[in-house]
Amino acid sequence: MSDLRQIAFYGKGGIGKSTTSQNTLAALAEMGQKILIVGCDPKADSTRLILHSKAQDTILSLAADAGSVEDLELDDVMKVGYRDIRCVESGGPEPGVGCAGRGVITSINFLEEEGAYDGVDYVSYDVLGDVVCGGFAMPIRENKAQEIYIVMSGEMMAMYAANNISKGILKYANSGGVRLGGLVCNERQTDKEYELAESLAKKLGTTLIHFVPRDNIVQHAELRRMTVLEYAPDSKQAGEYRELAQKVHANKGNGTIPTPITMDELEDLLMEHGIMKQVDESQVGKSAAELAA
Amino acid sequence: MSQNAEKVLDHFNLFREPEYTNLFENKRKEFEFMPPDAQVEEVREWAKTAEYQEKNFAREALVVNPAKACQPLGAVFAAVGFEGTIPFVHGSQGCVAYYRSHFSRHFKEPTSCVSSSMTEDAAVFGGLNNMIDGLANTYNMYKPKMIAVSTTCMAEVIGDDLNAFIKTSKEKGSIPEEYDVPFAHTPAFVGSHITGYDNVMKGILQHFWDGKAGTVPALERKPNESINFLGGFDGYTVGNLREIKRIFGLFGIDYTIIGDNSDVWDTPTDGEFRMYDGGTTLEQTANSLNAKATISMQEFCTEKTLPFIAEHGQEVVALNHPIGVKGTDKLLMEISRLTGKAIPAELEKERGRLVDAIADSTAHIHGQKFAIYGDPDLCYGLAEFLLELGAEPTHVLATNGGKAWEKKMQELFDSSPFGKNCKVYPGKDLWHMRSLLFTDPVDFLIGNTYGKYLERDTGTPLIRIGFPIFDRHHKHRYPVWGYQGGLNVLVWILDRMFDAIDANTNIPAKTDYSFDIIR
Amino acid sequence: MSLTVEQVKQRNKDLIKEVLEVYPDKTAKRRAKHLGTFEEGKPDCGVKSNIKSVPGVMTIRGCAYAGSKGVVWGPIKDMIHISHGPVGCGQYSWASRRNYYIGTTGIDTFVTMQFTSDFQEKDIVFGGDKKLEKIIDEIQELFPLNHGITVQSECPIGLIGDDIEAVSKKKNKEYNGHTIVPVRCEGFRGVSQSLGHHIANDAVRDWIFDKAGDKHPEFQTTPYDVAIIGDYNIGGDAWSSRILLEEMGLRVIAQWSGDGSLAELENTPKAKLNVLHCYRSMNYISRHLEEKYGVPWVEYNFFGPTKIAESLRTIANFFDDKIKEGAERVIAKYQPLMQAVIDKYRPRLEGKKVMLYVGGLRPRHVIGAYEDLGMEIVGTGYEFGHNDDYQRTTHYVKDGTLIYDDVTGFEFEKFVEAVQPDLVGSGIKEKYVFQKMGVPFRQMHSWDYSGPYHGYDGFAIFARDMDMAINNPVWGLTKAPWKSAA
Repeated sequence: MSDLRQIAFYGKGGIGKSTTSQNTLAALAEMGQKILIVGCDPKADSTRLILHSKAQDTILSLAADAGSVEDLELDDVMKVGYRDIRCVESGGPEPGVGCAGRGVITSINFLEEEGAYDGVDYVSYDVLGDVVCGGFAMPIRENKAQEIYIVMSGEMMAMYAANNISKGILKYANSGGVRLGGLVCNERQTDKEYELAESLAKKLGTTLIHFVPRDNIVQHAELRRMTVLEYAPDSKQAGEYRELAQKVHANKGNGTIPTPITMDELEDLLMEHGIMKQVDESQVGKSAAELAA
Repeated sequence: MSQNAEKVLDHFNLFREPEYTNLFENKRKEFEFMPPDAQVEEVREWAKTAEYQEKNFAREALVVNPAKACQPLGAVFAAVGFEGTIPFVHGSQGCVAYYRSHFSRHFKEPTSCVSSSMTEDAAVFGGLNNMIDGLANTYNMYKPKMIAVSTTCMAEVIGDDLNAFIKTSKEKGSIPEEYDVPFAHTPAFVGSHITGYDNVMKGILQHFWDGKAGTVPALERKPNESINFLGGFDGYTVGNLREIKRIFGLFGIDYTIIGDNSDVWDTPTDGEFRMYDGGTTLEQTANSLNAKATISMQEFCTEKTLPFIAEHGQEVVALNHPIGVKGTDKLLMEISRLTGKAIPAELEKERGRLVDAIADSTAHIHGQKFAIYGDPDLCYGLAEFLLELGAEPTHVLATNGGKAWEKKMQELFDSSPFGKNCKVYPGKDLWHMRSLLFTDPVDFLIGNTYGKYLERDTGTPLIRIGFPIFDRHHKHRYPVWGYQGGLNVLVWILDRMFDAIDANTNIPAKTDYSFDIIR
Repeated sequence: MSLTVEQVKQRNKDLIKEVLEVYPDKTAKRRAKHLGTFEEGKPDCGVKSNIKSVPGVMTIRGCAYAGSKGVVWGPIKDMIHISHGPVGCGQYSWASRRNYYIGTTGIDTFVTMQFTSDFQEKDIVFGGDKKLEKIIDEIQELFPLNHGITVQSECPIGLIGDDIEAVSKKKNKEYNGHTIVPVRCEGFRGVSQSLGHHIANDAVRDWIFDKAGDKHPEFQTTPYDVAIIGDYNIGGDAWSSRILLEEMGLRVIAQWSGDGSLAELENTPKAKLNVLHCYRSMNYISRHLEEKYGVPWVEYNFFGPTKIAESLRTIANFFDDKIKEGAERVIAKYQPLMQAVIDKYRPRLEGKKVMLYVGGLRPRHVIGAYEDLGMEIVGTGYEFGHNDDYQRTTHYVKDGTLIYDDVTGFEFEKFVEAVQPDLVGSGIKEKYVFQKMGVPFRQMHSWDYSGPYHGYDGFAIFARDMDMAINNPVWGLTKAPWKSAA
C-alpha cells in the first residue's frame, strides 16, 4: 500500500485536463506502471481516450439503476483499457440538478470499500474544475491524493483557477499530507506563456513541471478516442507526454505546500509580464461608448 | 358544563361530553368541508382490498410510516455507551433536538448530545468554524472524557471533512492535541440508524486501535483471552446488557462490552443528575484490540465493524439478536467454544426453566399467526423464537432490511415446518403492513409503538417489542436476551394473548361461557 | 429564606457571572447578552434574542423544518405533509406533538402519519424532483380523499438546489388545481424553529390565498365570524378555547392549525376578526390577513381565569353588545368552577416557585395561570423568542425575574440548582434532568401527555397537574433514609 502513488489532476474546465492526464498516464503505463483512473467529473470523459469509448457507465448512474451503491460490485464499474489501465468514472447528475460534489464522495468511498486500489501503482483522480465545494475536495483529503498537478495555461482565468485550487490544497495540507506536485502548462499560445507559467509556479511555491506545446496531433488522436501515445507513439508530442510522465514519476515526495496569492498579486504578475496594462482607475466600469465620449 | 373540580376531566373523558361532541359535529358540518361520510366509508373499505394492496405495493417513491430512523440516531446511541463521552453532531441543530427527544421518550431518561449548530452561512462556507468553536465550548462546559463526532445530512451534502476539521480545531487550540475525538461520517441518506451505529462503533475502534487519526502509532495487538461484546442498536440495551454481564459473570471470563449504555440510560433519581454514567472506559476500548474474539449480537448493526475487527486478527461471531432457547443456546455455546469454559450449571437450569415455561403455555401459542416488524436482527430473533414456540411468523417486515437479510430470513423459514407460509418483506413500510394485515390477517402483531395505529385500523392485537416504545413504560429495563429474556418475551406475548381472549369472551349471555378463570 | 427583590437581583447577577465563567471568552461574551434579570419599568427583558445558537453548547432549540412541519403545517388534518428528504426528520416528529383532531386517519385525515421521500444517496446526487413528482402521483392514487399536499423541505433540498416549486406547479395543473404547497423550511435556515413558522406562514399566503382564490364562494358569513389563529390543539386546547368563543355568541370559522382543515384556512379571509393565541408562530399571517383582506387581529390568552376573562372581554370589544353580554355570561358561568378549582388547589400550591423555559407564547402566557394558583414565576425564557416576545413578557413578569434566552443545558441546570424552584416547566429533553435532581417537572410543550390546558376546562386540568407534580410523594423518596438528611 505504501508504494501506491495517489495523484490528482485539477484545472479550469476546458483547459485540456482530461487529455493531458490520459496521455500522461498512458505514458506512465508504458513505463510499466499499473494505473487506476478515477474520473471525478460528471461529464465522465476522463477515461474515453484510454477506453476508446464515448463515455463509460458511471458508478453513480449504475448505482441509481441498481438502487444504491451497496448493490454494486467493483467489476460492474471498472473497465480496463489501453495498456491495462483500469478506469472508473464517478459520474453525476446532468447540469443544474442534484449535487455532483456529493457524487464524488459517494464514489470514492465505494472504491475504497471495494478494494479498488489493491495492486496498482498509481491512482489518478481527474477532477472537474475548481475545488468548488467539499465534494470536489474529496480527492485531496487525507489518505487520498498526495500530489496535485494543476493543468493551466497562460490565460488569465486558467491562472486564476490554478491559484484557487492552491487555496483548496492549502486548506487540507496541514491536517493531511496533500501537496502541490506542480503546474502543467498546456500551451494556448498566449503572450509570454512560458514565462508567465514559470512566474506563477514560483509565486505559488511550486515548479512548472512541464510545458506541453500545442500540437494538432492531439486533436487527431482525440477524434479517434485515443491518446497520442497510442495513436502516434513515435510523434514528437508523444515524447512530450513521456517526458511529463517521467517528471511526475520522479517527483515523488517533492510536492510542496502551496502559497496562494491574492487577486491583486495575480494582476501584478500579469502586468509584470506586460499581459495586462496598468489599470487606469478612471476607466474602470466604463463602456467603450462612454470612453469614446 | 361537565368539568368539575372534584373529579377533573382531562382529554380522555372531557371531549366525550355532549358539549364537545356537538361542537365537533357542528365544526365538521359547517366549516371543514370534509368528504361525505359515505365516501369516507367507501374509501376506507377499498383500502382493505387486494386491489388496494396491489397499488400500495407498486409504490416506488413514496414511503409511508417507515420502521426506521436515520444514521445519526444510531451514531448517538453508540457514542453514549463510552465512559464520559458526549456525542457531537456536526450539522444542523434541529436534528440533535430530535435525537435527544426520541431517546428520552423511549428510555424516559435524559440524553446529552451537542450540535455544531450549522446555519445558512455554514452551508455556503463549510462548517469548520462551527467545529472549532463547538468543540471548545463542549470541552469546557461539559468536561467530557471524549467527544465522539458524527454528521447530519447537511454536513454530508456540503462535504465537510471531519478528520481535517478536528485536526484544525486542535491546531487552533479548541481542545488539547492528545484529546480523544473519534469521528464517523453518518449521512442520513444512506442506510438507517443501524448503519449509524455501525459507522460510529467502527470509527471509535479505529481511533483507538489504528493510531488516533495518524497522531500516534497504531496499537500492536497482544492477544489475550478476553471476549468483546457488541450489542448493536437495541431498545432493550439497559436490561439486555445487564443480563449479558450477569451471564459473562457466571462464566467467569474476562469480557468487554464495547458501547455499554446500560447505566447512562438508567440513572437513579436521588437528587443528582448524572450526565455521564458507566460506559466502556477509553482504556478498555483500546485494550479490546487484544481480545480473543468479538461477539456481535446483531449482524446487520455491525456489517462494517465486525470485518474491521476481524482484520485486526480477532475471531468474530455474528448473531441475529438471539431470543429464546435455540438462540440463547447458540450464544452460550459460542462463548463456551471461544473461551473453552463450560456452560455454567446455573444457566443450564435457567434454560430448563424457560423450556418449562414454554411447555406450560405452548397450547395457547401453537399455530398462532404473527406479523413482525422492526430492525432486521430483531425480526430474525423474534421469528426464530416464534418458530420454536410452534407459531407462524407469517409476515416479517424490516424497512431497513436488505437482500442479505431477506435471504437469511427465508433460510430460517425453510428450516421449520412452521415457516412454510411465512414471507419476508425487506424495504417495506407499515403502510404495506397495513395492507397485509387486511388481505392476509394474522392473530397478533409484534412491533414498536407505531404498531398501535395498525392495531386500531386492522384490529390485530399488538405486542409491543421493538424501538421506540413511547407509550408503555420501563420495558427497556427488562432483558430480551438470555433465557431470562426469552421468558420476558414469552410472558409479554402470553399476557397480550390472554387479554385478547378475555376481551373476546366477555359479553354476558353471549360469549362469556369461555370467560374462563383458569387458562 | 425569602429574599428581597434587590437580593434576588444580586443573586441573579452573581449566578450569571458564575455560569459564564465556564465558557471560552468568545462564547461567554455571546452568551452574556442572552442572560439577565427583568428590571421593573424597562420596555423589554434586557436580553438579546433570535440570534444564532453557539455551537457545542447543547441548545434546546430545533430547526425551521420543526417550525413548519412540526408546528404550523403538520396539524392541518386533511392535507398530506411530505417530509421531503432523508427519513429522520419525519420519523422523529411523527405524531409526537399531540395535535388532536377528529377524522379517519389514513382515509380523510393524515396528521399522525409519516409521509417521507426517504432520500437515498442517488436522490442527493441526481436531485429529487423526479422522485417528488412520482410521490405526488402515488399519494393521489392511494389517498384519493386528501385535500392537498405540502412539501416540507429538509436540509438537503436547498443544498442540492431542487426546484420543488416547479414540481408543485406542474402537479397542481395536472391534478386540476389540487392544492400543492412547496415549503422551503430546510433545517439550516434561520436560527431556530422561528424562521420555519415565518416560512410556513408565507407559504400559506403564497400558495393558499394568492394561488387558490375563493374556493368556497357558497360559504355564508355572519357578523360574528372569527378564526382561532395559533392554537395547535395540543391535548385539545383549541377545542376548550373554541367552546368559550361559541358560548359567547361568536362563530369560529377556522382553527389554525390544530384540528384545522384546508377549507378553514381558505375561508379565513372572510372572518371579521382573527384571534391570535401563539403570536410568535402566526403573527405573520395575521398581519397579512389584516393588510390584504382588512381582517383585524387581536392577541388573547386563555391560560387561567384571570387572563381568560380579560381576553374574552378584549375580544368582545370588537363586537356589539350581544357579544359583550355573551362574554360576561360566559365568565359568570364558569366562575363557580374556577373558584372551586382555586379553593381546592391554591392552598396546596400557594407560594410555590416556578421556572419556565418553553417555546412560542408559553414563557409568558402561562404565568397568569400559575399566579391564579398563588404560585410565583422566578425565572423564564424563550427557546426561539424575538424581541417583541420579550417586550410582551414585561407585562407578565415581576421585578427581578431571571431571564434566559436560548438557554444551554449547562446554564439551565446551574440556574435551577441555585434558584431551587418548586417546579420546572420545560420540554422532554429537560424533564428527566430535573427529575433526577429531585425537582418536580411538567412538560409545557406537550402538557406531559395531559391537557387541554386552555380555557376554563383546561385550567382545572392545569391546576390538578401542577399539584400532582409538586405534591407528589415520590419527591420524598429520593434520599435513602440511611443517608443523613443534612
